[in-house]
Amino acid sequence: MSSVITIDHVSKSYGTCNAVSDLTLSLHAGEILGFLGANGAGKTTTIKMLLGFFSPDSGQISLFGHNPSDASTRQRVGFMPETAYYYPYLNIRELLSFYGGLCGMSSSLIRQRSEDLIARTGLDHAKKRLLKTYSKGMLQRAGIAQALLHDPDLLILDEPFTGLDPLARIQLRDLILELKTKGKTILFSSHELSEAELMCDRVAIMKNGKLVLAKPVKEVVCDGNTNLERIFLNVLQAP
Amino acid sequence: MHTLRQLSALIRLSLYDLYRRKDLVIVTILAVVVLVPMSFATPFGIKGASRYLNEISLLLVWLFVLVIAMTRTARIIPTEIDSRTIYPLLAKPASRTVILLGRYAGVLIASLSVLLLFYGLYALINTMKSAFFPWEVFIQALLLHISFVILVTALALLGSLFFNSDANLSVSGILIAGMILYGQQLPVLAAEHSLPIRAILHILYWLAPHCELFDMRTRLIHHWPAIPWLACFCIFLYALAYAAFCFGIATWLFNRKKV
Repeated sequence: MSSVITIDHVSKSYGTCNAVSDLTLSLHAGEILGFLGANGAGKTTTIKMLLGFFSPDSGQISLFGHNPSDASTRQRVGFMPETAYYYPYLNIRELLSFYGGLCGMSSSLIRQRSEDLIARTGLDHAKKRLLKTYSKGMLQRAGIAQALLHDPDLLILDEPFTGLDPLARIQLRDLILELKTKGKTILFSSHELSEAELMCDRVAIMKNGKLVLAKPVKEVVCDGNTNLERIFLNVLQAP
Repeated sequence: MHTLRQLSALIRLSLYDLYRRKDLVIVTILAVVVLVPMSFATPFGIKGASRYLNEISLLLVWLFVLVIAMTRTARIIPTEIDSRTIYPLLAKPASRTVILLGRYAGVLIASLSVLLLFYGLYALINTMKSAFFPWEVFIQALLLHISFVILVTALALLGSLFFNSDANLSVSGILIAGMILYGQQLPVLAAEHSLPIRAILHILYWLAPHCELFDMRTRLIHHWPAIPWLACFCIFLYALAYAAFCFGIATWLFNRKKV
């Protein structure tokens, strides 16, 4: 199985604070990885390095075997940030047209993909409204639509379930699982352990910048008396 | 093709911003309020006073265009960072250089469209009012004003990578106003001092933008002759070179900026 993400002994610090320490992790094609950890565990820093926003202090990161800071590598990556306040003076169609243009897509392809994604994310009724009138959940859906617009092979979702109501949560879960059946690779960071347990092939738990557990979900919760939440708490409370 | 689509998307974003934030409406109202008084042939019943009205109107045009161009440019990058729109933007397959160029081109086009609106109205009112209109000087004034906008937006863009938008506006504003008002005096002032102040003033004179070169208002108002086209073209090239220099440094910084 080919490796989509390869993180090899990566460390990153901000001044004296070690945000990520000697992280080694890989993600294979078609896999869903739940990237878990408490606040400040180093998840977002790792995601930012994966997207080439900045380089690690030491170690190597590659996406599809290439450097993530190369713009061409990101052609195959879709990213949804944790909380984004998209341009408030645009409507969802204009937002998707803007991001489609940045991905080098033709106008006709953008139109076709946009209509499909607007419908799938349940924003059909609000497609003429400016984004400044959207609720937090609707902005999350807009974020999902922009991440999927150019049909990426790898999806990186930072806290995708934040702000979603139960129905939207189920729709997003179904969408992620459908993407998996299409062979897409998905990494999502989350505090929603129940969602991770339902969807992920593997989970990776970070604590204080270090990877403390990386296993298939089936192995983690093989004992019928336990669940991911309990494992997560045990891992975080361990000295 | 790919890069052109990316640039086009980024430019459209700035134009949407200009249109949706009602800036165009405000600018149009301002243009009318500022320029329509020029249409009076003998304001306050005083013959010849229309030239003074022209002077005030053009000064206000300069100020409004400067404020619009600088405030729009100064907030490009800080706003992207504050609103976190920078993350999905940088995650797209566009290089940071293209992103910066597209955003810069967008605000430049938005600012120049405001400038053209003012100048269009100015020409319209003056041609209606009087049989003679100094078209050659007008075109030179417009070209040099466009050059000035190109230069100050590039300077504000560079500043936006060092300062937040408020600090950037203050620093760039002081530099530009200082150079317009006192730029010519720097060598005279330098001659009065000994080293190292003399050297510092000379360096400042050569490094700071010579904004005073772009002002053709007096020639336009008093119907003075046009300047040689070669000089006009050289000033235009100076603005382009200065803007390219600022943009080059801004790109270098933006490519290294941690977000």
